[in-house]
Amino acid sequence: MSVEAITPMSPARRALGHLLWRLVPIAPFLIILLIWIVLWEVFRPSKETLPPVRDVVAAIRDLGLSGQLAQNVIASLGRLVLGSLLGIVTGVAAGFVVGLNRNVAEMLNPLAVFFNAISGIVWLPLMITWIGIGSALAVFLIWNTVFFIVFQNTVLGVQLVPEVLEQGVRALGASRSETLRSVTLPGALPYILTGIRSGLGFGWRALIAAELVGAASGLGTMIFDAAEYHRSDIIISGCLIIGTIAIIMDRWLLLPIERRTVQRWGLVSDAEDRH
Amino acid sequence: MSIAIAPRAAARPLPSGLRVAARQLSGVKILIPFIALVGVWWAIREAGQFPERVLVSPARVWDTLVVLASHGVLAEYISTSMSMIGIAAVISLAIGVPIGFLIGSNRYAARGLEAFLRYLQGVSGIAWLPLVIIWFGFTHTTTLVIVIYTLIVPIIFNTMTGVRAVPEHYALALRSLGASRLRLITDVYLPGALPSIVVGLRLGMGYGWRALIAAEMLVRQGGLGDLIFGARTSGQIDRIIGGMILIGTLYIIVNRLLVQPLENLTIARWGVLRK
Repeated sequence: MSVEAITPMSPARRALGHLLWRLVPIAPFLIILLIWIVLWEVFRPSKETLPPVRDVVAAIRDLGLSGQLAQNVIASLGRLVLGSLLGIVTGVAAGFVVGLNRNVAEMLNPLAVFFNAISGIVWLPLMITWIGIGSALAVFLIWNTVFFIVFQNTVLGVQLVPEVLEQGVRALGASRSETLRSVTLPGALPYILTGIRSGLGFGWRALIAAELVGAASGLGTMIFDAAEYHRSDIIISGCLIIGTIAIIMDRWLLLPIERRTVQRWGLVSDAEDRH
Repeated sequence: MSIAIAPRAAARPLPSGLRVAARQLSGVKILIPFIALVGVWWAIREAGQFPERVLVSPARVWDTLVVLASHGVLAEYISTSMSMIGIAAVISLAIGVPIGFLIGSNRYAARGLEAFLRYLQGVSGIAWLPLVIIWFGFTHTTTLVIVIYTLIVPIIFNTMTGVRAVPEHYALALRSLGASRLRLITDVYLPGALPSIVVGLRLGMGYGWRALIAAEMLVRQGGLGDLIFGARTSGQIDRIIGGMILIGTLYIIVNRLLVQPLENLTIARWGVLRK
């Protein structure tokens, strides 16, 4: 009897629990917001040190309405897309060439490790003297960052494709380019996509750092210029927008693509193991 | 059938004399691509007749590094950067691991903070630099805050993931044998999470080192970032390239000699727990 008495309650309760479970990720943001509001009301710091929440909201609104925000976001994203595309294309191509030749790979590995260690922002001073301040500088830094990560992952992915599969397809009469396209590429794809995802994460950071000193527009420039006038509200707005774009890019764009690829093609070694 | 991954050529046991020779050979092999690179660099420099403000010869870079080293300046730049990353790593571990534990031990906290931590990671540390400069001025504190911010998020995140990956029945088994909560942490969760924590440390060091260089460039209070960025204004390409070589080498040394061995050690010692 008691079981029956509980059951009708259960779906509603479960729905409530489910709702709570879904809402939980918002909690930390709300808590920080609350702490910020309370801190500001209690200590009343100068607006330069910590602006009130409403100032930041107003700053975001003003930046949005004046078109300044869109302009800077487009400038930053344009550089990111261009630099990343160049990095991905060159990284995958070079990764294939090197990954297919074990001797070359062994030879070049030390160089790849070294240049990966100085990829991105470390090039800033040298590139400023070579190509000056501007979009090209930021695009170079992104390319440089993305290239080495994608390159290393592609080499790894290509090398890890089981040779049996390649030989099997070759034995069935496929040409070398067909084998590359239908075996090696799909086999390496999960690694390549992991590389692209992590490369874009580093690339976005490098871009913001590059724009702080080496550009005339973009989100990094926006917050760095705001610092000169001690406009903390604009700096914080900029940081929030930078984070939001990073999250959207990673969670809603790259992660789903990566997951789908791994599901579709990442099964190669699983299938092997099942025998 | 376990030919999922092409097996590497098994290392045959060599007589000890031969083994030493082989090791020396592999040491030389690592150097060959670098020697080739320096050769190409030298050839470009000689063929192009570039002015000193654009490209200098490798010999010139070497001389500059020797001069800087003999005046003790180089040691100062290096020790500033190294102590910064060292202090940041220690503080991040000291704060990040306990926080990661607290979050990881609660289902709701883990789910709630995951999105928040990802968001923080999306706002690269360097984006906060303008605001932190307003707070702490152009000081080492500013640099340290930025580097800790960058380092601590992956550590918290990976500690949390590591704790959550420890199978619950290990903890339950120990509890039923009468273990206290403290014993549970020291004997089950800490060893279980350790491999993941070290992975977090490695990731954090990768991001943190770049954040450090970028912050040093803008804060201008010593360190290798300051060295190469300061040299830019006076067009001292030799200092810039020399500094870049140092940055890459130091990163590789820290990564290969400290972080990766630590990772291998913990995975070899405790990594079994995760299976």
